[in-house]
Amino acid sequence: MGLRVELAQIRPKLGDVTHNFQKHIEIINTSSADCVVFPELSLTGYVLRDLVFEIYKESEKAVNKLSEHSKCVIAGLVKEVRPGILRNSAAVIIEGKIDYIYKFYLPTYGLFEERRYFQPGDPRTDLRIYEYKGYKFGVTICEDAWHYEPIEALALMGAEVIMIPAASPMRRLSSTLAIKEQWEALLKAHSIINGVWSVFVNTVGSQEEEFFWGGSMVVSPLGEIISTAKLFEEDRIITEINLNEVRKNRFFSSFRDHLQGFHEVLHKL
Amino acid sequence: MPDYVRKKLLLVDFDKITEYLVERIREYIKESGKEGGIVGLSGGIDSSVTAVLLSKATKNAYFLLMPSSSTPHQDLQHAYSILKLVNATEKNYSVINIDEITSLFSKAAGTDDKLVVGNIKARVRMILLYAFAQKHNYLVVGTGDKSELMLGYFTKYGDGGVDILPIGDLYKTQVRALGLHLGIPEEIVKKPPSPALWEGQTAEGEIGLDYETIDSILYLKFEEMLDEETISKMTNTDISLINRIIKMVKTSQHKRLPPEIFRLSGRAINSDWRYPRQWG
Repeated sequence: MGLRVELAQIRPKLGDVTHNFQKHIEIINTSSADCVVFPELSLTGYVLRDLVFEIYKESEKAVNKLSEHSKCVIAGLVKEVRPGILRNSAAVIIEGKIDYIYKFYLPTYGLFEERRYFQPGDPRTDLRIYEYKGYKFGVTICEDAWHYEPIEALALMGAEVIMIPAASPMRRLSSTLAIKEQWEALLKAHSIINGVWSVFVNTVGSQEEEFFWGGSMVVSPLGEIISTAKLFEEDRIITEINLNEVRKNRFFSSFRDHLQGFHEVLHKL
Repeated sequence: MPDYVRKKLLLVDFDKITEYLVERIREYIKESGKEGGIVGLSGGIDSSVTAVLLSKATKNAYFLLMPSSSTPHQDLQHAYSILKLVNATEKNYSVINIDEITSLFSKAAGTDDKLVVGNIKARVRMILLYAFAQKHNYLVVGTGDKSELMLGYFTKYGDGGVDILPIGDLYKTQVRALGLHLGIPEEIVKKPPSPALWEGQTAEGEIGLDYETIDSILYLKFEEMLDEETISKMTNTDISLINRIIKMVKTSQHKRLPPEIFRLSGRAINSDWRYPRQWG
């Protein structure tokens, strides 16, 4: 029996923590999965701008209430780590115990304004591995998956599954949904290189001028897209993941090798 | 108004504020390649203050008086007294009664609903201001103050349809104090603010609070970011009224923003572009 993971692709109401909390509770209470993964900032919505200052306390309270109900849940919130210092965070709730993951890379290009509001996490202190039902997993938030290091670090620390809550808006529409193809390519690469399951859970629906496209997916350690959620609408899918696929990848790959020298070079560039 | 708020909002240097606003109007007119500015003069405190600031900034100031049947006679008299204060001559003001145009629009829209007709009046005035502005190569100088802008107490594309808002960062109580400082007659400064879109309409009557309290709530909530209970105690106001004001600010946010553009591209006009106004 593998680990059953539910991808809760929800449409959060921007700034309405009460509404979003209710949705989380409904899904958690009706899920048959071991772990339920919600998108980035799932309790608050993404395009918050100055609303962050109004909702951060409420979102943290909502996480505390979620912990009364859950087995293994990953939900997005704004956390005040010190007075006045806010971070884009994911709560990892296991058997009532809450821990927090922080986003390392905060996008501030194009439409994004995260550095204006949030402080980034520090890899030296904030990388975490969790274990549930014999599966080790790491959590990393959206933009972090557009860099090599966070997932590579989590995998080398022991993660077999990487949960990626995301809020990816639709843009650059051409003959295909380019952003979706880019995410597929990214997740396949991470999974293949690191021998991990990638569980990507995207937000869906409109917030201000942005539209989040959904399309959550699970990619196996062999780089196969195992399941996908609907585009442009709310969806819930459960995928069973197992360690055999991790082994199959790692027996015949160079994942275990990491030449520190490369990072020393990179650091100096 | 609590002492704490009074000190923050009213113990300010109105000489410096005047100097700053006049200089900014002058600069903006020059940088936008215009030759002057036009303001709609209602006889209320906001348009009176704006008219005085504009006339200090440029010799090319034009004033448009656009009364309707719902305009109190006293307002028209006050508008004339401001014309006198800024030494306007017949060359730089006009009086246009908007009843006939308003009635044509109302008939075309098939309604005599007072709110709809009231908004038509505000938009008719905007059209006339832009027509005169274009004729003279002038800017349309808006008269909205911070309290009205925050509450959404203006008509979208009516009195909200302007090129600049010189007093848009001053609360109503600050505009009143600035008005006194600029020599605007006390009866204009002290009369209850009214858009006069229909007979008997007053801002404070519609909102249910006086502007001193409204401004205190707005300031404490949105600048000091205090919680509702603290504000209620500080202003000695029922929390339901505080919530009502906050709700007005929140539900009118769409009026303060450009229309939403549904994104398709990688470079959408509102959400991606960060070009300044001085572009090209």
